Amino acid sequence: MSARAHPDFLWRNPDPRPSYDVVIVGGGGHGLATAYYLAENHGITDVAVLEKGWLAGGNMARNTTVIRSNYLWDESAAIYEHSLKLWEGLSAELDYDLMFSQRGVLNLAHSLHDVREGRRRVNANVLNGVDAEWLDADEARAFCPILEVGGHTRHPVLGATLQRRGGIAKHDHVAWGYARGADALGVDLIQGCEVTGFEITGGRVRAVLTSLGRIAAGTVALAAAGHTSVLAARAGLRLPLQSHPLQALVSELLEPVLNCVVMSNAVHVYVSQAHKGELVMGAGIDPYTSYGQRGSFHVIEEQMSAALELFPIFKRVRVVRTWAGIVDVSPDASPIIGTTPVDGLLVNAGWGTGGFKATPGSGWVYADTIASGRPHPLAEPFGLERFTTGALIDEHGAAAVAH
Amino acid sequence: MTPDYDLAVIGGGPAGVAGALTAALAGLGVVLIDAAPRLGGQYFRRPAPGFRAGRPGALHHGLDRFTRQCEDLAGRADVLTGHRVWTVERDGGAVTVRCLAGDREERPRTVTARRLLIAAGAHDRPLPFPGWDLPGVLTPGAAQALLKGDLVVAGRRVVVAGTGPFLLPVAAGLAAAGAHVLGVHEAGGRTGLARHPFLAAGKLAEAFGYGARLARHRVPYRGRQAVVEAHGDGALTHVTIADLDRDWNPVATRTVACDTLACGYGFVAQLDLPVQLGCALRADPYGDLAVTVDAGMRTSVPGVYAAGETTGVGGAVLAEAEGRLAGRAVAADLGRRVPPDPVLSRRRDRLAAFARALGEAYPVRPGWRGWLRDDTPVCRCEEVPLAAVREALELGATDARSVKLLSRAGMGWCQGRMCGYAVSCLAGGSPAGDARAGAGGQGGGEARPGAGPAAFHRPIAQPVRLGDLAGTAAEPPRPGPPGTPAEVSHPPTEG
Ligand SMILES: Cc1cc2nc3c(=O)[nH]c(=O)nc-3n(C[C@H](O)[C@H](O)[C@H](O)COP(=O)(O)OP(=O)(O)OC[C@H]3O[C@@H](n4cnc5c(N)ncnc54)[C@H](O)[C@@H]3O)c2cc1C
Ligand SMILES: Cc1cc2nc3c(=O)[nH]c(=O)nc-3n(C[C@H](O)[C@H](O)[C@H](O)COP(=O)(O)OP(=O)(O)OC[C@H]3O[C@@H](n4cnc5c(N)ncnc54)[C@H](O)[C@@H]3O)c2cc1C
Repeated sequence: MSARAHPDFLWRNPDPRPSYDVVIVGGGGHGLATAYYLAENHGITDVAVLEKGWLAGGNMARNTTVIRSNYLWDESAAIYEHSLKLWEGLSAELDYDLMFSQRGVLNLAHSLHDVREGRRRVNANVLNGVDAEWLDADEARAFCPILEVGGHTRHPVLGATLQRRGGIAKHDHVAWGYARGADALGVDLIQGCEVTGFEITGGRVRAVLTSLGRIAAGTVALAAAGHTSVLAARAGLRLPLQSHPLQALVSELLEPVLNCVVMSNAVHVYVSQAHKGELVMGAGIDPYTSYGQRGSFHVIEEQMSAALELFPIFKRVRVVRTWAGIVDVSPDASPIIGTTPVDGLLVNAGWGTGGFKATPGSGWVYADTIASGRPHPLAEPFGLERFTTGALIDEHGAAAVAH
Repeated sequence: MTPDYDLAVIGGGPAGVAGALTAALAGLGVVLIDAAPRLGGQYFRRPAPGFRAGRPGALHHGLDRFTRQCEDLAGRADVLTGHRVWTVERDGGAVTVRCLAGDREERPRTVTARRLLIAAGAHDRPLPFPGWDLPGVLTPGAAQALLKGDLVVAGRRVVVAGTGPFLLPVAAGLAAAGAHVLGVHEAGGRTGLARHPFLAAGKLAEAFGYGARLARHRVPYRGRQAVVEAHGDGALTHVTIADLDRDWNPVATRTVACDTLACGYGFVAQLDLPVQLGCALRADPYGDLAVTVDAGMRTSVPGVYAAGETTGVGGAVLAEAEGRLAGRAVAADLGRRVPPDPVLSRRRDRLAAFARALGEAYPVRPGWRGWLRDDTPVCRCEEVPLAAVREALELGATDARSVKLLSRAGMGWCQGRMCGYAVSCLAGGSPAGDARAGAGGQGGGEARPGAGPAAFHRPIAQPVRLGDLAGTAAEPPRPGPPGTPAEVSHPPTEG
């Protein structure tokens, strides 16, 4: 593929100005989407996105791009479904081919417990207006012919949930689409600018301190994914987040063989075939907390051996690369969006292993929260307060590892 | 778990063999692992046992000494040739080295050790030019490998071009083996020979040997010249040779008929494994990267040592000295009594200083970019032409990583090992300064300021089959109906 698939110009590389109405910390998918919707939906353009590396060089560049909205609880289903609806119009909105492919997402059930949970989830989804179907083993096999459902594997397939509207998209196009849109509306995207501290007086944030100097801000919105808790600590906040390495791998190019996304929570893997033909496989989360962007091999080994039982035909496929990203996981595996005890400092984090799919929705509600100073209705249940009130939204079943 | 060995050495060139032997002589349990069918590395590459070479020593200096070292080693350590290491992991006090043995039917093999010495050498650095993907165009390292490893003379009418002192031994070797070497074209200027660093390093005989051999075979050595285009329909038939100005812009050209071109612009240390482990790197002033080591060849990662080209490109003699220092340091660190050897240390320092000077004497100048045309492939694996790289830059990409994501340059089979340098230069960065070039990206790695295109984190150093990754390389028996022997003999995998 040549760069001809892209529009003519992406973005400027401006120097930071001394002050902005809104400073967004983190130029991943969520930070860029937030900037775009601030400008597009709310007309707020005196905005800078500060990124310590390059735009979308963090988890946005490392994720396996699974998109779906079949989460269990009403609150989650609402925000992820809002996101999925945005995905469905996003290439047109951003005038950029995001290669969003709604090829269907299968979640496999390997035990009677999985079957019960899967059916329950399908019912819950349908009640929430999220498309969902239950397939028995034969139907799953018919939908994905290379899947080994036989009863002799360690993890026999007893059935699967299917969300036909789920799928994958091209992650870098998504980031660049938002970046280009935000830039065109006047947002400054500043790369190579690390936020090292905050200036807080009278309980209110006044400025961020960065590797490029002090930048004053009316509102500071964190969108730093795996590094959020470190950053928040510099503002004196302790967030209930833990950082874990999450691994993935990509194979050599193959002819098209896999027509959908297949996920298995029990086995902790998910597989799809990207547009160019490489298999993209996600492995599970490493059990220990770490900031080193490398995972441990035993995790991959165990998961790949299980994955090969599901897909024996991939045994000889060559892996050309593996990698890991740091994901930020909250105690109930749901995100944290909203205000903090520091006035003017907002947080959007804890998307853990599944925030790529949420990029448009997260940016949308975060921008609204920033613009209006009160949580967007879809974001309200995800406030920091829930860890003191106890109104948790436990999505471990839907999001523990898989996406 | 007790590790299998005290020391695992990766690389069986002069550095690795010297390191392994020194450690084994100090009483350590040592395993040496190399991908090639026979020990030797780049310089002492030798034909596989089945071949009969009349006088293999004629192809390299010091071969007898190296051969003796290999023989000594064979009785004292386990030598695993034909084993490709695809990943190393460090866990507390031990390292785990994962390899694949064999060619077509690869078998996985895992080795554990208390200490690790990385002596993985370097690879050629090609620069792109129109026609560089034609059959008949190869790197000097490849031409030398064919000659030394397979006793194949690559072609009859050969042009040697590029930059750096190692063009000479390659040309001399080819000429001695019967090829008609039409010329050696050193882009950096002929003064390189007069000030030839081999002279400075006391390698007078060697330098003169090459000079004399080249003279005997009437091989002209030309400075400020480069091959700027290769021509041919399906195979190489002739090349365009240009006179260059200081910055390597062509000023006059002519064509020369030939069937082989050996062309390369220096070497890049093989850094996949050190980067995997997180070893600190340094960028030389002229932009190349190598692993940082102390006087005992210890890297910044405890328990991991590096020697030879891994610490900077500098020739076989330096590689051997570093290997010996590393072997001694490992033995000392594991409690063996090893008296210091100040002579060896000074020798290493002198050779290393000289190697740095050598790197500085043969810089790559920017004019090569002008040799390219819009349709010249920059990345061969993904067939990305210059035009696509330019488009990525016009789109606003300011670093090699964005160029890569936009154009797919460097995303194929070799993962940027061949084109990484060129792509970062074209992206406007110095390859070393272009810190995180190639990091990130889907499947990317660690941002590592000050590191270059070679320095992105690659958790696997070689493509590996999923089945091997899963540790299930052998086909499991097809499960029959329950209770059949096939299933009974299959050990339960459920944990
Ligand atoms: C291997 C892997 C697979 C995944 N698979 C999926 C999937 O299939 N589906 C899915 O929905 N999700 C998936 N995810 C999760 C998803 O990638 C993340 O939830 C999401 O990308 C996080 O939001 P982001 O894009 O804004 O994060 P990032 O891209 O990580 O952006 C955060 C940015 O903040 C910057 N930053 C941090 N600290 C500072 C500072 N001090 N100053 C300035 N900038 C700073 C970082 O450099 C980074 O660019 C996966 C994640 C991983 C690691
Ligand atoms: C064309 C050319 C001409 C040269 N001419 C001269 C000369 O005339 N005089 C001189 O002094 N020097 C010369 N050199 C340089 C000399 O070859 C090197 O300095 C020397 O070989 C370096 O030794 P080493 O032990 O560091 O690495 P190498 O000799 O390169 O050995 C590295 C070994 O590591 C193995 N290896 C690497 N990665 C893996 C892996 N993942 N798994 C398993 N094994 C692995 C390789 O198979 C290789 O055998 C020349 C080099 C070239 C390319």
